[in-house]
This record gives sequence, C-alpha cells and structure tokens, in this order.
Amino acid sequence: MPHASTRAALSTAISIAVVAALIYFLLPKYWVYIITPVFIVGVTLQSLGLVTGRTGMISLAQMSFAGVGAWVTGYLNVAQFPGGLIVWMIIGGLAAVPVGIAIGLPALRLRGINLAIVTLGFAAAFDSVLGTITYPGQTAFIKVAQPAWFKGDYGYFTLVVLVYITIAVALEYISRSRLGASWLAVRHSERAAAALGVSVPKAKLSAFALSAFIAGVSGGLLAGYLGTLVADNFNMMQSLALFAVATMAGAHLTQGAIIGGVLITLFPELLRRLNLPQDVGSVFFALGAVQALSTGETIGETWARLFRKVVPRRKGADLTGAAKGLAPATKHATGIALEVKDVTVRYGNVVALDDVNLTVPAGKVVGLIGPNGAGKSTMVDAITGFFPSYKGSVLLNGTALEGKSATARALLGIRRTWQTTRIAAELTVGEYIRLAAGPISHTELTAVLDWIGCPGPDTPIASVDAGTRRLLDVAGVVAARPPVILLDEPAAGQSYAEAIRLGARIAEIPEKFGSAVLLIEHDMDLVRRACSSIAVFDFGRVIASGPPQLVLALPVVQKAYMGIEPEGAVA
Amino acid sequence: MNSLLTPAVAGLSAGGAYAILGVCAIFTYRLVAVVNFTGAAIGAAGTFVMVALTEHGMPLFPAVIIGILAGALVGVMIGGVMTKWFSGASATTKAAVTAALLVGIIALGLRLTGGQRPHLFPDLVSGSAFRFAGVEVTWGSLLTVTLAVGLTIASDLFLARTRTGLQMRALSERPMAAELIGIRVRVLALAVWGIMGAVTAFAMMIIAPLRSPDFMSLSLLVVPALAAALIGAFRSFRAALLGGVLIGIVEGMVSALEFGARFRGVVPFLVILIVLLWSQRGARWDAAR
Repeated sequence: MPHASTRAALSTAISIAVVAALIYFLLPKYWVYIITPVFIVGVTLQSLGLVTGRTGMISLAQMSFAGVGAWVTGYLNVAQFPGGLIVWMIIGGLAAVPVGIAIGLPALRLRGINLAIVTLGFAAAFDSVLGTITYPGQTAFIKVAQPAWFKGDYGYFTLVVLVYITIAVALEYISRSRLGASWLAVRHSERAAAALGVSVPKAKLSAFALSAFIAGVSGGLLAGYLGTLVADNFNMMQSLALFAVATMAGAHLTQGAIIGGVLITLFPELLRRLNLPQDVGSVFFALGAVQALSTGETIGETWARLFRKVVPRRKGADLTGAAKGLAPATKHATGIALEVKDVTVRYGNVVALDDVNLTVPAGKVVGLIGPNGAGKSTMVDAITGFFPSYKGSVLLNGTALEGKSATARALLGIRRTWQTTRIAAELTVGEYIRLAAGPISHTELTAVLDWIGCPGPDTPIASVDAGTRRLLDVAGVVAARPPVILLDEPAAGQSYAEAIRLGARIAEIPEKFGSAVLLIEHDMDLVRRACSSIAVFDFGRVIASGPPQLVLALPVVQKAYMGIEPEGAVA
Repeated sequence: MNSLLTPAVAGLSAGGAYAILGVCAIFTYRLVAVVNFTGAAIGAAGTFVMVALTEHGMPLFPAVIIGILAGALVGVMIGGVMTKWFSGASATTKAAVTAALLVGIIALGLRLTGGQRPHLFPDLVSGSAFRFAGVEVTWGSLLTVTLAVGLTIASDLFLARTRTGLQMRALSERPMAAELIGIRVRVLALAVWGIMGAVTAFAMMIIAPLRSPDFMSLSLLVVPALAAALIGAFRSFRAALLGGVLIGIVEGMVSALEFGARFRGVVPFLVILIVLLWSQRGARWDAAR
C-alpha cells in the first residue's frame, strides 16, 4: 500500500513542520530553548513506543540506551572524530544496538514481563557503572560541539525537529510495512504470528534493535543540546518516568510521542511557575499511566479518535462483483500433499492423539470431523509445529517436518487458521493480508478479498465484525497460496447462510489457488458441500474415513456424534 | 581464605533480605498473578514510617510495629488498585501498572522523606552473634537468613497444606471461576498484599542501615528481589531463597575486590541474564487458543 503510507508519512512530516515553524517564527529565544527538549524526549519516546506500544514488550531501560548514545557522542567529540554531531549521534545510536540486542535475547521466548525485569536490571547496572565515570570532556570543560549549520538556540531547534521528522516518517513507513505488521501481530498473539510465517524472535529483536538505535540517537541529541551531561540524566528514575509517560500518552503514535515530550519537558516548568515541587510530576505520570492502562486508551489514541470524528477516515471502497484479476492457481506438487504418519500426542497421562494416520491429497478438500475433545485441534497444532514434541511424523509433499519450528512450517507451506480469530485490530485489512501472504500485488489482494466477500484493503480491522474477521482469516491463508491449508472451524460463529456461502468458497480453494485443504468443522452441511472425503476422529483415533455420504451414514460415526445408537439410517 | 570469606559473610544479611523480597515476589505472583515492581517500595514506605517515628522520639519497638502496619497498609492500597481495575488484565498489563506505580511511589517517597537527606536508621539488631572460622557473623545476617528460611517453609506449607492456600491458588489461576465458586476473591487478594507489605517492611528495616538509606535506593532493591524470584522461576520458594542469598554473597565478594566495588550493582543484572538464557532454551508459546 505505497500510497497510503506515503500519504500518512507526508501528513506527519508536514504537520510537525508547521508546528515547528510556528514555534521558530513566533516564539522568543528563551521559549525555543525550553521547547527543544520536547522533541528530543519525543525521539526517546518514539523509541519506547516501538518496543512497548507496538511490540508489547515492557522496556524500563530506555534512558540507559540513550546514555550509551550520549556517552559515545561525548567520546567522539573529545576525540574530534570527523563528521560532527550528526555522524556522532548516528554512531552513538549504532553503539546502542548491540546492547539492545544483548538485552532482548534473554527475553525472546517469554512475553513482556521478563523483558521488564531484564531491562530494569540493566538500568540498575548501567546506573551503578555510569555513576563512577564522568562525562567525556567534562573535567576539561570541553562541550559537545553543535554542527556549524545548526548552532545556537534556533539552529539546534531546527536540527532536533529535522531528526524528529526523519524518525517519525521512517517509523510511519516501517509500521505500514510487513515488518511493522509483524510487530503488531507478535504483540497480539505470538502463536498467530508464527502461523503466518513471522519469525517471532526476529520480530522482537528487530524492534528492540531499532528502538535502541533511536534511543541512542536521542542521547546524542541531548548531548548536543546540553553540551555536557551527568549520570543523573539517564538514571533509572528517568527510564521509569519515561515508561509511565509513554504508557499514558501512547508513544507509538507520533502525536502521542509529542504529547509525552510536552508532559515531561513542560510539566515541571509549569509546576515551577506555580511554586509546586517538581517531582509531583512523576506522581501525576504514574496516575496517568495507570488510568490509561485501565481504560486501554492512551492520550494519543484519544486525540486520534476525536480527530477522526471531525475528519472521518476515508473508507476504502467496498468490493463487489465477481473475482477479477485473481492469478491462476499455483501449481504445487501432485500426489499426497500432507501426510500424517503414526502421530501420537500426550498431555501427561492423557493420550490426545493415538497413532493417527491421515492423508490430504493435492488439490482436494478433506474434512476432519468429530465430537469436541476428539483431538482435532491438537492434530492441527501438531501438524503446524506448536508442540515441542510428538511421536510419529508429518510429511509435506513427502518431506518430513520434524524439528522444524512453527514459523518454518508456515514458510514451507502449511498454513492454518484458528478457532477464534487472532488478527491484531490495529492493522487494516490490506496490511493483514500482506502480512499473511508476503509480497502480493494490489490486484491480487483486492481479488482475494472480493472472492471471499471481505471489505476493501483500507478498512481498519477494528471496524470489521467478528464474522467477517473469520473470513479474513481464510483470505489470509489462501492469499499465501501454500500447498496445504488447515482451517480450524472457519464457520464457527457464522450464520447458516454465511456458512453455506463459505462452504462453496472453501470447495473452490483447490481450483482457484491450487492448495489442498484440511477442514475441521462441525457444520455438516458445510462439510458435505466442501469436502471430497472426510475423516472422523473420536478419542484421538481415526474411526472412519472415506467419501462424505458413506462415512456420515456409518453407525459408528453417528454414535460418536450423537452418543446413541441410531435407530434408522439418518444421513 | 579470609579475604573472601569475610565479604561473603558480610553479604549474607543483604542476601537474606533479597531472599525475603524474592519469596514475597513469588508469593504475590503465585497468589494474585502480579509481577510486582513495587514490592521493595512498599517495604521502604513502612521502613520510613518507622524511622520518622523514632526520629520523633518514639521507642523502637512500637515504632517497628507501626512501621510494619504502614507497610501492610501501603500494600493493601496497591492491591486495591490492582484488584479494582486490573483483576481481569493480562500479566503484562499488570506488570506495566506496577512499574508505573513504582515511579509515583518513589517520587512521593523522596518528597516526603526529604530526598537524599540522611536519616538515622536504628539498628534493629546489632552486634556479632558468633565467630565462624575467624569471621564475625552478625545477628542481623543471622536474623534475615533465618527469617528468609522461615518464610520459605511457611509459604510452601501454606500453599500446599491449608484450605486458604488452595483457595488462593484457584484465585490466581482463574479469578472469575474462583469467584463463581464462592471464594471471596477480593478479600483474599487484599490479604495477600497486606501480608506481603508487612513482611517486606520488616525485611527492609533490617537491611536499611546497611544501604545508602534513601527512599529510592531502597525501592530499587526490587531488582535483586526479582532476580531471586527469577531463579525460582516465579514458582519455587526454595530456589528463590537460595538465589537471593547467593546474590547477596556474590555482591559482597565483588564489592570487596579492588576493581569490583563499582560493579556491585551489576551482579543482579548478570544473574538475571544468565538465569533467563538458561531457563529459556525450549520454545514456549503464549496461551493456547
């Protein structure tokens, strides 16, 4: 969606530039000096918004990363490294990256809390080390030199705003790219992200590395602003306060980062003028953060919502009409697409799957039915790699998948949907499909959406109802055109008419997209309509398989479903 | 030999305190499902109430009691926030709330206690208990370690053997389900917060004289406390006990080294790093379905 991201980036850049120009031309020197840190802190807040707001990991050491950048800048200044402040702060940012990755590594496998503990520990450790070393050049009274073009209060303000805009625009682009969508997906559900072929560690580490870089740059900016620094500029309290403000203001949004910058910079100034103690500010930030967490809406989001009330977001055109522009079906290997061989899964003493054998031929839709608790979803989890271990083997086009992660299996071509939809609500329909499908043309994208009956690509997911989101799940997996698709109860929560329609669409998948489908479903009308053969599960075993009409008529199947011996032959 | 043993033993009282804080962190996590960043700050609040009272001439014993009660009260207040607004929230959100509250409590605490202004911290217990291999073991370290061991055993027994312990486990796993089967969720949760507040307050009183005794430094003892809790994987009280004591001892030894004094604060971080790298070799996924 290059148009939308360019539009968003432009509007961000222009609105900040306008605000900055007003400040530059209307306000006296003193105020420009006071306001400059709003944007410096804004840069730091953007770095925090990236990890915490977008990726959902709590970082309590953001000022320590800034400290790394600031100190490196200081050393380069004293060493008179060529290139001046702009080069120094970029190097400072780069220096913070390995630190960020090193701290992100131990927190990869578990969710946000561990990272919070690691980063708090790092902030404490950094504090105690930084407390013992003075800022480079401090004892010799060497100040960090501002670049020749951006000297003085007005000049430096311009530089800071330019850096802010550059980073905001870059983040705007990244957030609408597949990488940015993968961060949101990881935040929303790591399993679902992995099932889309997103590498969870890569998504987390990239967010953390980029965040550390931006924080490091902000440290360099601060060094140029103040000339010399002390350890207290970067202590734990600063990091914690920054976290509270980011949580309160919504630092993942550019307006949120600026609001946060205003709060951190100007609130103490306001308190000072009111003759109130300045540390009351932190208490206020803490309360604001708790309030934002309890309502689930940050100040930045409130503003965006109110803004959208006044200026409604342009709604993407709804798609109607027959699927045009759908590329011809992908040619996958013929024969058996997916084979499950003697797979056994145990939860402790409970045998969830007991020596299960199942095949899905290429180009066919196979139904998997059975009462609740029969092991159907366990089967999907095993095939897609969400169990650390199971007995037996899963083969994709004859190749065993054992030892491959969920992400790797998704990339090899086994895609799945979930019983409950797990799409991050912050995405748009188009962004989600792009995340699921990878590189995909705009024509193809709209054609897929049109085929299944989803709204246009610019529609925000948040405005899409639950039933349509289920369709979107299916749209995502078919758009990826993998050899094998596993649909876990796609019609759950759909009305009868919708389910019938969905059944017809699922039956078309092999012909239109070239994928084989394993369909788990309770809706027998849908199953009959879509499947060319079915397998019946009960207590973790396959109790019957074959063509739908024959299998559904078997007494053993009816007993499994109804719990009684059937009196007559009911289809 | 003594050059290492002396500082190791010197780190014992801090280690005992870390162990107590770590056990409390696990207790809070297992019973009310909150990774609590304010744990040490709650204790610091109680400690400073005690100090304020003794500075105004109150005898030590009643001041300690009131300080412990104050710790319990602050604990209950934070617990009130958590149970009222965040009982259904995710673990990450709850942790974020306590991290945000930590900022506010520290700021408020620094204001009320006059920032870095030194206070006179009375030694609750002083003097040497006995000599071991030529090294003085103080009553303070003996008391914290004993208290830590006692707390560990008591926590284990409470959770495993008592009916209330069982109810509390139900509460932390599924608060809604626990409420539906008639457990008085809120009262129990607040009781946990209160008890944790009281215990941490007492632990902090013992180690406060050994630290740079300002409100912020004491509050940030939550770092070694959480490191100890991580060693116990937020499950095992005994592992956290060992971990806490170990961190204290290593810290003591590091600060005795000539070049190491400035790196004492790095020890908990390294412990956290190593423990996490070790414990997370296998893949894990967030909640199923």
